Amino acid sequence: MMDSHSNSGRSRWKWLLIAVGIPVLIGAWWAFRPEKLWINKQVNEPAPFASTTDPQPLYTGLLEGEAHKTSGRATIYKTADGKEYLRLTNFSTSNGPDVHVLLARSDDENLKQEIVKGQLDSIELGPLKGNQGDQNYDLPASVDVQKYNAAVIFCERFHAVFGVARLEQF
Amino acid sequence: MVREIKTVLAVATLAVAFGLHSPAQAQESSAKALETGTFHGKVHSTSGRATIYQKEDGSLLLRLTNFKTSNGPDVHVILIAASDANDDANFLKSNTERVELGKLKGNEGDQNYVIPKGTDLSKFQTVSIYCERFNANFGAAPLEKF
Repeated sequence: MMDSHSNSGRSRWKWLLIAVGIPVLIGAWWAFRPEKLWINKQVNEPAPFASTTDPQPLYTGLLEGEAHKTSGRATIYKTADGKEYLRLTNFSTSNGPDVHVLLARSDDENLKQEIVKGQLDSIELGPLKGNQGDQNYDLPASVDVQKYNAAVIFCERFHAVFGVARLEQF
Repeated sequence: MVREIKTVLAVATLAVAFGLHSPAQAQESSAKALETGTFHGKVHSTSGRATIYQKEDGSLLLRLTNFKTSNGPDVHVILIAASDANDDANFLKSNTERVELGKLKGNEGDQNYVIPKGTDLSKFQTVSIYCERFNANFGAAPLEKF
């Protein structure tokens, strides 16, 4: 008699546990969806432009400069025939003597200083055309932009870094 | 008389054909990038680029490229009226204005979202990948003029 009573009590507990436990588990699953930690959802929508005859931006970054206030955007474009060029937009820097546009390595310690002590590992793109306004600079063929991934406004005479833009994939 | 009517019909047909043709050409022409920025997010590692394009008809579109975030429940793409956002949970205060762009289509890959007409981009400056359920910011991309 006692035995069967405790048996039915245990089985009632079991049912209660199931009745409460399962909704709680479902609720927790719904809230956290833990399986999504392992399941990725990959999409691949096309760009909003069909025309590929326009130059396409490859890398872009914002210019920063402390010593000589430099601002604007530097973007590397690739034309339909495979030529690459650097374009400066909303650009402004201080005017100075013998200022050039270079590509350098963004991790180069020299760029952290205002004045470069040694030789800057860089690629020359030409003298700065103007200290304000939009302007383009052709890249020499076969420049490794993955390696030289920073645009630098550089005063050759005083080895002064006017501004640096670290370029990231567009 | 009949010939004249035929000529008029032919001209009208041509005009209609050209009229129908021009919008198709407009679709092919390029959209202009207005603003861009990169995602940062450490708690739910989020990376990639967000760019706002303006199409020929003036409509705005947000495009995510090289995009990657963690998958999660009820994740949305929103624009917020702030210059940037941290990774914190509960980062959205009740008074933070936002524009809903829709559910995140995928946690990886290139994707486009329509921005509602009349959205003031000078006010809504940051894209957020936002988990509605936990009021958590997966990642944010502050936008700068392109």
